[in-house]
Amino acid sequence: MTFHVARSVSEGESANDGSHQPLSRRALLRRCGMGLGMVGLAGILGRDELPAARGETVSAARGALAPKAPHFAPRAQRVVHLFMNGGPSQVDTFDYKPLLEKYHGQPMPAGNLRTERLTGGLMQSPFKFRQYGESGLWASELFEKTAAHIDHLAVIRSMQAEVPNHEPSLMLMNCGHGRLPRPSCGAWITYGLGSENQNLPGFVVMCPGGYPIVATRNWRSAFLPGAYQGTYVDTKHTQIDQLIANIRNQRLSAAEQRRQLDLVRALNERHLQQRGLDAALESRIESFELAYRMQGEAAEAFEIQHEPAAIQQLYGSGTHGRQLLITRRLLERGVRFVQVWSGAGQPWDNHDNLEKNHRQLAQEWDQPIAALLTDLKQRGMLESTLVLWGGEFGRTPVAERPALNGRDHNHYGFTCWLAGGGVRGGYAHGATDEFGFRAVEQPTPVHDLHATLLHLLGLDHERLTYRYAGRDFRLTDVAGNVIREVLA
Amino acid sequence: MQSTLWYMMLLGLGFAANAAADERSERDFFETRIRPVLVAQCYECHSGTAPKLQGGLRLDSRDAIRAGGHSGPAVVPGKTGDSLLLSALRHEAFEMPPGKKLSPSVVADFERWIQRGAVDPRDQPGQHSAADEIRLAASHHWAFQPIADPAPPNATGAGETALSPIDRFLLERLEAAGLSLSPPADRARWLRRAHLDLLGLPPSPEAVAEFLADQRPDALERCLDRLLASPVYGERWGRHWLDVARYADNKGYVFFEEQRFPWAWTYRDYVIRAFNDDLPLDRFVLEQLAADQLRLGDDQRPLAALGFLTLGPRFMNNAHDILDDRIDVVTRGLLGLTVTCARCHDHKYDPVSQADYYALYGVMRSSVEPLPPPEFLPAPDTDAYREFQAGMRERVEKLRQFISSQREQLVAGVRGRVAEYLLAVHEKRLHPETEEFMLITDKGALNPAMIHRWEVYLNRARRDGDPIWTAWHAFAEIDDGKWSEQAGQVAARLLANADADVQPIHPLVRQAFRDSPPASMNDVTRIYAQLLAGVQREWEQAVERAAASGTAATRLEDDDRESLRQVLYGPHSPASLPRELSWGFLDLLPDRPSQGEFKQLLQEVEKWSSQQPGAPPRAMVLADAETPYEPVIFLRGNPNREGPPVARGYPAFFAASGPARFQHGSGRLELAQRIIAPDNPLTARVLVNRVWMHHFGRGLVETTSDFGLRSEPPSHPELLDWLASYFRRSGWSIKQLHRVIMTSAAYRQSAAEEGAAWERARGVDPENRLLWAFPRRRLDFEAMRDSLLAVAGQLQSMQGGPPESLLDGFVPRRTVYGFVDRMDPPGLARAFDFPDPAASSPQRERTTVPAQALFFLNHPFVSQCAQHLLSRSDVAGLTTDEQRLQRIYQILYARPPDDHELALARQYLSGSGTPGADGASAAAATSDPAATTPDRWLDYVQGLLMTNEFLFVD
Repeated sequence: MTFHVARSVSEGESANDGSHQPLSRRALLRRCGMGLGMVGLAGILGRDELPAARGETVSAARGALAPKAPHFAPRAQRVVHLFMNGGPSQVDTFDYKPLLEKYHGQPMPAGNLRTERLTGGLMQSPFKFRQYGESGLWASELFEKTAAHIDHLAVIRSMQAEVPNHEPSLMLMNCGHGRLPRPSCGAWITYGLGSENQNLPGFVVMCPGGYPIVATRNWRSAFLPGAYQGTYVDTKHTQIDQLIANIRNQRLSAAEQRRQLDLVRALNERHLQQRGLDAALESRIESFELAYRMQGEAAEAFEIQHEPAAIQQLYGSGTHGRQLLITRRLLERGVRFVQVWSGAGQPWDNHDNLEKNHRQLAQEWDQPIAALLTDLKQRGMLESTLVLWGGEFGRTPVAERPALNGRDHNHYGFTCWLAGGGVRGGYAHGATDEFGFRAVEQPTPVHDLHATLLHLLGLDHERLTYRYAGRDFRLTDVAGNVIREVLA
Repeated sequence: MQSTLWYMMLLGLGFAANAAADERSERDFFETRIRPVLVAQCYECHSGTAPKLQGGLRLDSRDAIRAGGHSGPAVVPGKTGDSLLLSALRHEAFEMPPGKKLSPSVVADFERWIQRGAVDPRDQPGQHSAADEIRLAASHHWAFQPIADPAPPNATGAGETALSPIDRFLLERLEAAGLSLSPPADRARWLRRAHLDLLGLPPSPEAVAEFLADQRPDALERCLDRLLASPVYGERWGRHWLDVARYADNKGYVFFEEQRFPWAWTYRDYVIRAFNDDLPLDRFVLEQLAADQLRLGDDQRPLAALGFLTLGPRFMNNAHDILDDRIDVVTRGLLGLTVTCARCHDHKYDPVSQADYYALYGVMRSSVEPLPPPEFLPAPDTDAYREFQAGMRERVEKLRQFISSQREQLVAGVRGRVAEYLLAVHEKRLHPETEEFMLITDKGALNPAMIHRWEVYLNRARRDGDPIWTAWHAFAEIDDGKWSEQAGQVAARLLANADADVQPIHPLVRQAFRDSPPASMNDVTRIYAQLLAGVQREWEQAVERAAASGTAATRLEDDDRESLRQVLYGPHSPASLPRELSWGFLDLLPDRPSQGEFKQLLQEVEKWSSQQPGAPPRAMVLADAETPYEPVIFLRGNPNREGPPVARGYPAFFAASGPARFQHGSGRLELAQRIIAPDNPLTARVLVNRVWMHHFGRGLVETTSDFGLRSEPPSHPELLDWLASYFRRSGWSIKQLHRVIMTSAAYRQSAAEEGAAWERARGVDPENRLLWAFPRRRLDFEAMRDSLLAVAGQLQSMQGGPPESLLDGFVPRRTVYGFVDRMDPPGLARAFDFPDPAASSPQRERTTVPAQALFFLNHPFVSQCAQHLLSRSDVAGLTTDEQRLQRIYQILYARPPDDHELALARQYLSGSGTPGADGASAAAATSDPAATTPDRWLDYVQGLLMTNEFLFVD
């Protein structure tokens, strides 16, 4: 019932139009003939004093995070983005280049490409590759457990960014522009679809131990309302009150707090009664009820100790295992977009000692990723969940000087993969040149990846717009094509 | 103006005026009401300029619109039922524009237009270019017309309310809709409203008592005078301006330098002072754009105003983005124009061309930031200061030396390594096209930024047909594999020079290639390098000779040799680097050791000048560059692709009354003067609209930073013009504007309550656009936090100075003094809709999310405020619960509690259940033994701090 009311309010609304009729909670109550507190809160929360979206002000007005109908039937409902920040090497993971062995130590025959730093000759991968699954796609030993799921993965081997520097590439991958302040992918998606659970943030970002480079810019909402900004959780911590701001009261017991809240509600109801219909007053009253429940539910979502031992073992005991188990619990509870980072700074940025560092990083990730895929699958969630794995760019097939045991940044060609809802499994899209430097077949700009993500979620990247500063902005700016080949 | 036109036309109908006048008024109707909508809403997909014509339908000429598209005629004159355009606008047969319905009044205009014969003066398809169309539409656009000074209409149903001109304008519309203003709010509520509006703080119980006791007829005016004289006023209204100015205390992500702006706060304090002093807003604008060019006299403090331009985000030091941000804050912030849309192409909807954009770009790029920025207070006569100064000089000198030695090395490198640079440029053509990026090289390697400068130089030479480089470009076009077969032909063609078609070739270059025909591009570069090296040697000798004879060499005697010398020494040479630490200088240091050295020296200066005892504050100024930058259009916004040159100046469409081109220096002062000129139609409208928004929750024009063709027209166009005229007449005084607004019946009326009249008004105008009641609204983040501190009795009165971190622990300073972090805007502030300082913010969003409620429920700050409130001497000193409750209600709500509220309080404090206001019991905790707590008073007061009544102003 609750859900039904919420949907009927939001259905048919495009994300940014001005035709909204203010619908107060009271009006809803009258219409539905229900008592207080039983109504679908989701549709009301956030409904605010400015009922319509107009020009620059655009509406956070109605239910900033209430679920909204997509443009067309979606293939996936939610997203998890596994962000290998720093830039994992494609030629050491999912883009096998046997010629590197042959030409190891020699210069690129066609001439080197300029990247951020000075590089020398080609460098073979220190890792063993083999084919996996029925599709027979190649992967290295670094991700052997993940590769066991290869028939569910669409590996895009021809990704391209714009420059070989971390900051603009992170911004590009997350926000669709290298420098200018634009909302992040997760912000756009929660703006477009809302979230299915009003007791949790719609867009959660986890990064253990601190921020990645350019910090919160990676999950900013920019000119979109603040409600769409990613909520950062430092997964270094395990205690709930360190994970989410203000989630627990240090002073009052639950019962005491309930009593206090009842007082506030009594005062607010009376205040409202004197003032007649006022959606802003009403939604603030509701927001306290939601916040109160959120304390319990949010805490519960992060408490992985409730999981059966077998599940905990599946994910392993490391930080990423914990992060991904929390991820699954969040997705399960209706969170729209979860982004999980490798760690503070740029862990995958292995300019030197790549063998040791990549091996360690992959070891920390491989089992949890495989576990997440298995777990989503066994719960029937994988087909409605979109999993994206990748960094902000890849690495050069040539070694970096002077140490010659690591690789420089490479924006000319790199790999990311998709799995889950609507994705064509066991498929490799595009290709880099014979050494893995530059995308030469079906080059895929980041905008195309974004257009595809939105498409799988039922959103048309050209229609998901927001009027700001005289322009209709979108995630893909003036570019972007859905990569039809990766759709199942 | 528009409604006058309406009346004219209705009259025309009634009196059957002559046909010519009819036709003319129909044409006017088309121009003012129809064409602008077609241009702004439809042409993108339905015109000759549409990238992809949709549905085979063009709407850009009379014939086309009548012929229609695949589905049939869009417009059938006189037949609204057959006109698909109308049905599409109504979202019937089609939904146009997609995903958005135009306002009913616009649809009604179209209906009327078609009914009356769809008069359409657009004869020829494609008669006008897109730019012409926009200019035509713009020439009728309300915001670009001169500001009128309309007489307030006579309102009939005024009743007893004393009416100001503002009320008359509002009532005209209200009465037409069968509505009226609400009765006046009670005086205490008005006072609370006025306090929160002007000061961002609730009135103290004493202020309330004093005001209620003041029975003089001008009590309101006196009260406003008192509030406007309070120094707290500037902290409130200054903060509103800081939203527009995208104020932050740091730069966003930068690689080299200190992330903080050590002196952004001097701008913030300038703004607060300007509001407190009621600095005329035209002067305020002038100082923010060009204080460095005004005769300031002894008081140099206005220099800090330039922070408006300089304290924007730094985009990892990308000069073009920094300048774009400055153009944006000026044009959206002051003019309501979205000029930066024209960075890559002409504006799609407004009369702003790419040339206009680069004319302003030229102004901004000709303005540089001195390092270190200047002091602006009189130098103190103290030892500490002198000591500081000595240390400062030393550090600045070291930095200068470093910069100048780097510069010399760079210049020498350009002149000495011509062959290598030329070859590098040539090789670059094989690389995938990519944006310029930050590169790291070895010390001594070719400088990538210099390669880029050579590339730009050579491209320009090709564009201009420079005879020195004809040969270079001809050879450069040969594919590597085809040298042997084609080089001969190319050389022969170049050397013949008899053919009139061939571009002229410089005689010395021709000679050099005749002497040694090249076999590869390597040879070509070597030949150029030798030629230039010869000229360079000659020049160095000439310089020495001249020095020996006590004169200075000015040129080589031989014209041909002199023109070659210009390649290395001329003003457009790649070697011609600005002397100042100017735009793009940092790109010239691509090797880690130089970067490291620079960073360290810079930090020494920044640290010493901001942290050393005795260090004076500084103003984040701009100064005109030695040589102004001569702008060119960057094709598609790409700085590597230079288009035609433009002159620094004001957007041409808006410069009608004078030359667009600026004459002096960067032109910044002229820009400022244009913006505040009496005939500028935008500035005063934009500013009064912002002020109106802060009083009534939204602007008369809702898109407060976009007055362009696509914006919704003002709800009350005449009122907006009257306000703008009044504002200019009263010397651009914002305080005078507050007075006239806040004494109006519209501002004094009550907010909507329960009752039949309000119920009806809600039905007629649910959005309250007509202002039939005062718009109730939630306090913004600053007013909320400051009010909590104020009622707690803790708010510090200290004004100004460096920012503090306010969100860690209990820091009782006003929120405006908090550190504004552009890199990581605090989640709490963002949750309460504090704008992202990444760009100028036109208005705040108003969202309601649980994170806000969690703050009130659980953040220690709120319970600390409650605790402090209870410890206030005027609360703690009271003996009975009843007295305390009375006092607390006065402090929080500016009213006494009623019996029901007292009963609720007693019940709560006694630990028993809490019946709901309407009798429905909120059951949860009625008999829970755990609910007894020694801190019931604390819990109770914290509860009151959470209430809507405290957080809303009505």
